[in-house]
Order: sequence, then C-alpha cells, then structure tokens
Amino acid sequence: MFGYLRPFKDELKVKDYQLYKSVYCGLCKSMKKEYGLLSTLMLSYDCTVLAMLCLSVNDEKYCVRKGRCTVNPLKKCSICKGEGWAFSFAGAVSVIMTRYKLNDTILDSGFLKKLAAFFLRLVFHGNYKRALKAYPEIDSLTAAMMESQAEAERNNAGIDRSADPTATLIKKLCGMISPGEAMRHQMEVFGYFVGRWIYLIDAADDVQKDMKHHNFNPFAAKYQGDIKATMGYCNEVLNMTASQMILSYELLELHSFKAILDNIVYDGLSYQQKKYTIDKYNEKNSDNKRGN
Amino acid sequence: MNDPYRILGISPDATDEEVKKAYRRLAKKYHPDRYQNSPLADEASEKMKEINSAYDMILDMRSGNSSRRGGYNTYSGGSYSEAAGRYTDIRILINNGRYDEAEQRLSSIPPSQRSAEWYYLMSVICYHKGWLEEAYNYASAACRLAPDDVEYRSFFSRISKQRQGTHTSYQGSSSGCGCCEFLSCLLCSDCLCNSCCR
Repeated sequence: MFGYLRPFKDELKVKDYQLYKSVYCGLCKSMKKEYGLLSTLMLSYDCTVLAMLCLSVNDEKYCVRKGRCTVNPLKKCSICKGEGWAFSFAGAVSVIMTRYKLNDTILDSGFLKKLAAFFLRLVFHGNYKRALKAYPEIDSLTAAMMESQAEAERNNAGIDRSADPTATLIKKLCGMISPGEAMRHQMEVFGYFVGRWIYLIDAADDVQKDMKHHNFNPFAAKYQGDIKATMGYCNEVLNMTASQMILSYELLELHSFKAILDNIVYDGLSYQQKKYTIDKYNEKNSDNKRGN
Repeated sequence: MNDPYRILGISPDATDEEVKKAYRRLAKKYHPDRYQNSPLADEASEKMKEINSAYDMILDMRSGNSSRRGGYNTYSGGSYSEAAGRYTDIRILINNGRYDEAEQRLSSIPPSQRSAEWYYLMSVICYHKGWLEEAYNYASAACRLAPDDVEYRSFFSRISKQRQGTHTSYQGSSSGCGCCEFLSCLLCSDCLCNSCCR
C-alpha cells in the first residue's frame, strides 16, 4: 500500500527534484536517529510527502546540508532537516503503518510470507513501542482503520465503503498536522481524497492478483474477468477522486515545496495511474514486445 | 487586510493587463461552479470573496484606469430552487449543511416511492461525503428517470467530466485542446500502421 504518491520526475526542475530527494534523505536520517538503522527499511515515499506537506502548511523552517547517505556512507547526498516535528511525525507514521501491514500479512498470507512477516515484526517491535509511546493517537487511528477495513471486506463492500477506512485515516492524520483550526477542514478533506486515492490505486494494482486468488477487491465484481474493462473503470474512479483531491489542494495555504507538491498532485497522480492501470497490462499482453 | 497583490500572486508593479490576467485566472480557479456541492464550497467562496476584494482594492488604488471587474462577482451561493418537488424540507437541510440528517430522512423513504429527485439528492449527499462512486451511480439513475431535467443533467455531466480526467481543465493548457487531440490521433494511427506492417 506504500509508494504511490510520487512526483513525476520528467516534469520536475532539477533543483526541485534534489530538494525532494533531500527530504527523503532527511526522513531517513531522522528515522535512523530515532529508531536505529534497521528502521530505515520502513521508509516510504508516501511518508516523505507527508513530511513535506507538514513542513509546507506549517511554514516550518528547514535547512538543507550536505551529508552522507545513511545506508551507504560512500554516497554523498543532501539532507533536509526541519526545526519542528514534521520528520518525527512522518517517521512515526511509517513505523506504525508498517507494523499494521505486517500484522495483516501474518493474518492472510502463505506460510513463507507469514514467517517473514513474523520475523520482521519481531525485529521492528522495539521501534513500534517507541513510536506508540510518542504518538499514541496515530496508533489508535490506524487500529480503528484496520478494524473497519476488515469489516468492509467481510461484507464484500462497494468501492466507497471499502475505501472509506484508509481515507478516514489519512484525513485524521492530515488534521493532526494542520496548522490551526482555520485550515483544518481543508486539510482533512484533502487527506480524505488522498487516502481514498491511495487505497483505490492499490486495489487497482492488485486486481488481477486478487481475481486469481479469489481475494476481496472492490473493483473485481463489476466486469468479472475482463481486465481491460476493469482497468478503464478503475481509471474513471481514480480520475474522479483525483479531481476532488485537486479541488481541496487548491484551497490549502502552502509555504514551501510548492513546486514539488504541485507536481505530485497535477502530474504525479495521473502518471502513477497510467503506470499501474494501463501500461502494466499493455506491456504484459503485447505479444511483439520490443526488448529494452 | 492582507496585501492585495500577494493575494493575486503578482508584484505591485505589475501592469494593468497582468493584474487583470491574474484575477481572471484565480477567479476561474475558485469559481463557485467548480466547488458546487463540494465539502469545501464555503471555503472556496471565502477565497473568491478575498480575490474579488483584492482586485477591487487594486483597481481603486489605480483609479483613473477605469476598468471595473465584471462577471464573476454576482453569485448567490448555489442554493436550490426550493419550490421544486416534494423534497423541499430535505433540500433545506442540505442547504443548511445538515447532510447527515438529510441522508437519514432520504433513506427512510421506501424504495417504491423513490423518484428521480430522490436519486439526485442522494447523489448530492454522497458527493459531499466523498463517496464519489455512489454519487455517480445515483446521479446517473436520476438522469435515467428524468432525462429532461436540467438540474440533474448538469450535475451528472460535471461528475462525468471528472471521471474522464479533465480535472485540471481550468488551466486550459494541459488537457483536451484540439491540437493535442489531433496529434495524439496521428500518433495512434502511426502506431497502428507500425503494428500492421511488422
């Protein structure tokens, strides 16, 4: 479920791309400092965006300095460091979400995957405890989300109802990083559609796999086995969600990282959609695929 | 009051033409039509007011250049024509932002008595809640039941446009201009030719 929120690199200025990378590295550094080296495995693009959004709406001061990569000390990189809690918050979200994702994998996967997830959960247990202590609200929100998600799947819910738990979680998280009451509603609505979009693109990405294994997928029912039609349908639903996200995005007051956030919302989303719904199948199904 | 030039995103020494352009762009972006029935309709109309007064202020400061704005300022909050149909009280609830109550009231009406208007109002409520798929389905049902109704049809066509991915259209540049479509047609036919000839 991680990593769908990304900029569309081709349309981004080099300086903005470097800034984006420095936020990514900054989050990595901050996680290493708070949770230890292994925790950096839980880093995700989505949480990078969350950190950036938090810095931007709160007008939090940050600096970018040269440093060395946490994982590969031979590599030089620039690292963004905030003065407030943006990175710590995004790190905690990463850690807690990973924990619940692992729980989920342990519940409904094959033996080997289950074993791996169990092992990882053990490894990250200390990290989770620490994040839980610092941000108990994130944990309770995520727990509530998982519960209503499971219920929606049990009831074979439709698209809106099954996307609602994730959407509500991100909505609440965005509410938590909102700079004040005046902005909270915009942030929450924006978060709702971001969460909805993330859930839906994840579902669209998994649809073929889920059809094969007869797992729950909100997109599977409408066109049964017809993957092309299903993908067209996924795209329509995603488009509508993205357009609502844009409406709320335009009412946010952003102070920094505007070029990157604009890129993600206006170009990144549609690029990702295309990648996971259309390109994926064109590549697989074309018989005379050219080598690259 | 904030700096009107900052609100319009221009520098104080912008030309009159630039001011006008910036105003037009923002007025289009935050136009109430784009935010109709959206959960952020109020915020958008606040923003619109801010932009309007910033523009007025700049024009006043530069008076002598006698171009007053026209067009986008007269808007009456997207309220429904309350005379229509038997769902007047539910429309009033929706106008007052009491969506949950309106939804409960609508749900309690038995399926056999549900008219096109019922489907339309349900669609508006779902849209506001962010349940876009149901909003789309209800709106399309409303249009099926009453194909000639302008209100239902315009709402449905707006949602349908969003589904086709023309959501950035206020910028004008990035979607659906004839030239691009023409070029992409050429590209497609080119691809087709390639695959035939191979």
